[in-house]
Amino acid sequence: MNYDVVVGLEIHAELNTKTKMFSGAPYHFKAEANTDTNEIDIALPGTLPCVNHEAVKKAIELCHALELKIDPLVRFDRKNYYYSDLPKGYQITQQFHPIGRDGHLYIDLDGVRKDIRINRIHMEEDTAKQFHLYDETLIDFNRAGVPLVEIVSEPDMQSGQEAALYVEKLKQTLNYLDVSDARMEEGSMRCDVNISLKPQGSTVFGTKVEIKNLNSIANIKDAIEYEIKRQSEVLDNGGTIDQETRRFDEKTMTTVTMRKKEGNVDYKFFPEPNIFPIRIQDEEIQSIIKAMPELPDAKQKRYIEEYGLSDYDAKQLLLNKNLAFYFDEMMRYSKNAKACCNWLVSELQGLLQKNGQTIETTKVEPKSLSKLVDMVNDQTISSKQAKDVLVDMLDGNDPEKIVEEKGMKQVSDTSMIEKLVDEVLDENPNSIIDYKNGKDRALGFLVGQVMKKSKGQANPQMTSAMVKEKLSKR
Amino acid sequence: MNIDELMVLDIKDRANEAYKKIHEVNDKLNAVITFIDDDGKRKEGKLAGIPVALKDNISTKGIRTTAASDILDNYIPVYDAAIVTKLKEAGAKFVAKASMDELAMGGTNRTANIGPCLNPYDDTRITGGSSGGSAALVAAGIVPLAIGSDTGDSVRKPAAYCGIVGVKPSYGRISRYGIIPYASSLDHVGYFTTNVKDAALALEVLAGRDDKDMTSSFAPVENYSEILNSDVKDKKILVFGNVYDALNDEVIKDRFDKVVEGLKERGATIKVVHFDDDLMKCLFPTYFIIANAEATANHSNLDGVRFGHRVDGTSMEEIMTNTRTRGFSSFIKKRFVIGSYSLFEENQERLLKKAQRVRRLIVEEVLKELKEADGLLAPAAGTIAPKLDNTSTDELSDEYLIGENHMVIGNFAGLPSITLPMGYKDEMPIGINLTCNAFKEADMFDIAQAIENITGCKDMIKEVA
Repeated sequence: MNYDVVVGLEIHAELNTKTKMFSGAPYHFKAEANTDTNEIDIALPGTLPCVNHEAVKKAIELCHALELKIDPLVRFDRKNYYYSDLPKGYQITQQFHPIGRDGHLYIDLDGVRKDIRINRIHMEEDTAKQFHLYDETLIDFNRAGVPLVEIVSEPDMQSGQEAALYVEKLKQTLNYLDVSDARMEEGSMRCDVNISLKPQGSTVFGTKVEIKNLNSIANIKDAIEYEIKRQSEVLDNGGTIDQETRRFDEKTMTTVTMRKKEGNVDYKFFPEPNIFPIRIQDEEIQSIIKAMPELPDAKQKRYIEEYGLSDYDAKQLLLNKNLAFYFDEMMRYSKNAKACCNWLVSELQGLLQKNGQTIETTKVEPKSLSKLVDMVNDQTISSKQAKDVLVDMLDGNDPEKIVEEKGMKQVSDTSMIEKLVDEVLDENPNSIIDYKNGKDRALGFLVGQVMKKSKGQANPQMTSAMVKEKLSKR
Repeated sequence: MNIDELMVLDIKDRANEAYKKIHEVNDKLNAVITFIDDDGKRKEGKLAGIPVALKDNISTKGIRTTAASDILDNYIPVYDAAIVTKLKEAGAKFVAKASMDELAMGGTNRTANIGPCLNPYDDTRITGGSSGGSAALVAAGIVPLAIGSDTGDSVRKPAAYCGIVGVKPSYGRISRYGIIPYASSLDHVGYFTTNVKDAALALEVLAGRDDKDMTSSFAPVENYSEILNSDVKDKKILVFGNVYDALNDEVIKDRFDKVVEGLKERGATIKVVHFDDDLMKCLFPTYFIIANAEATANHSNLDGVRFGHRVDGTSMEEIMTNTRTRGFSSFIKKRFVIGSYSLFEENQERLLKKAQRVRRLIVEEVLKELKEADGLLAPAAGTIAPKLDNTSTDELSDEYLIGENHMVIGNFAGLPSITLPMGYKDEMPIGINLTCNAFKEADMFDIAQAIENITGCKDMIKEVA
């Protein structure tokens, strides 16, 4: 039988604020265990939560970026359960009044824009990290209290591919806004999948299975694809799907049962009495929105429409937000968008990679790279020369200086080039014969000889034209 | 000696008596959980060298803080409560962590894990609770100031039973950061002194915005002790008719009448008010549901995993279960069960949410009248301090439901409220309570000063050693 696949995602993203959601303790991913904690994070008696303003700001930015309706009255609730990674015995979350409701994220599905609705985004705090050894458990409370946003989608996805695109796009948005590092491999972004199947065309939802703690986009895709196959087979064989929580096993590329649902847990939610509702003034919301960085979709549109870049080039730039920001900065100094894009994406990136550097660490200033591009464009230097200059720029040197110091300025002086061409032709009579006999290679050789004599400074286009002209006269 | 009298002494000598006498007094009263030795250091300030006792639910860095519960028997905080820092800066010298009802959940101080605290006036009687140890140490003349906490009437009731002044200011007036909670929406820091002026001075030290307590107020702190006066000429004071009618003790009523008479003579306008009787009968159940619901969540951190008295087990879950099973008295566990029950999804609407709605109705009912006046006056308790073995209270009578529970209105509405002595019955002190409008602590102290002048009940000390 054919089935409709129904997939919804719940994604937790750690906000990259300096301090925690309700305490002033710092948080660094790689900090030594239990050093980024204070009395609030380990819930010593008498401690009280204090809302991180920056975290609320970041949540508002994300809500706006994903077109959610923002609730200006920020409220928190307690979710009560006992677990050793939950120091207070309750988690402060936003059960009743999430900061945002009803948004959208658009994915590009083979050129077609698909709207994935977002049900809600709420703020909460992370739990501690547990390490279960043979007969003991170690707990690292650094992560306890780290601000999280939970982004809950509607069940609008129908395949592993759609889910992967959704997560990629969300990750990109989080990155561009600089609200989260969104690194699945480090756990700063975590994904739970809800998936069910129903007979094609049916309006009745099937039994939902939850797949927890997927830690890469590839795994999300693979887990969903496996689960579709598994559930289809069960249903095809007349079986029923159990409501359960499963996890993805990377080794076998299958999902396995974690626990069967034994009725819903009662978390005894109630409003957090230690935090009065906080009214965010409309002016503040507007000023947060106004200060938001440009989002990928808007950037892409601008690159294509204003700069005339191809769709492919625009996407290359957007792959890494720092690359896009670098490009934006370059465009403050240069008008040659296409050339800037090429030099940035291919030349600089390639060179950086060879040298074990990245766009984030490079000493090459966007302004300098723009200069280099412009120098090639107005034929001050050849692009071959420019590549050499770029190597020297890695130390942070100015391209104009490098060109000057190395005497690299491209020679466009006709009389000078003419003199060199004549010399070369005189020295290579055989090549002239070859050329006359139709061997095109000879032309290249002769041009190369002129370039060599000029120490690479002769304008190659001019040289080539000149050689041709002189040859025709011999 | 009160604070003024101690201030006359050399700064070095102000706490000497307290450090010396507290052990002997404690042998008689069982008021102390942990003694704090004199470190010999003295510092200038509003309370320079003044001995102060702290209820044992107030976090003190490096000093054991148990909240009178086995589960925190070995707990030593790594940080100071906000008010501890403030008191230290003002030069106060801590002499003891005082006894209390376990986790502040009680009104008798009989549920402390070290056993009951005894009333200095009669060691067969209770001090009241939950801040009983603090009250006893002030009443016995050991310290002129002791800090407590007040969730229902946990400062103002023991103040009445021990013949001293007990203050619970407005919600948000004093930071709660570092106070082991009972019920967050009702918890207040409160304190005991032997007279109104000392009470006004203490608030200057304790009050003020604290960024670590988001519910603390930005309202400016006044120089309460300097602006204090006893002029009540333009004051309009309400007499709490429901409470008066519910009481049966003629001596208490008579002393109360005399105070009202005195206020009238001093030019105050007196009006007897009767609030909706059905609402007043709901005071206790409303309090009980809200307080226990919040408490059960608040104390979920006591699991033996990170601090406190751990009882081992074969898994984390078992450790938590064993720790909590052994760490709390059955009395506390009963409260947790009740609190949990009213939080369950299927019960919450019918219990917690209903209680919260009733709380709002009660507050509206009282504020309707109080907003047009300066204070609401009632006897603080219907009897003198009960006997330690008293079990005869009829908890469904008006005398109990209204007469013994009316002070919780101050917690419901976050209003400043003060209890002060108004005389004796059978050589036991009796108290009067005044509740004022939010952040009108200055008004409260003024009216209280007038009452103190009328009764002459000032610096009442009962020496026991």
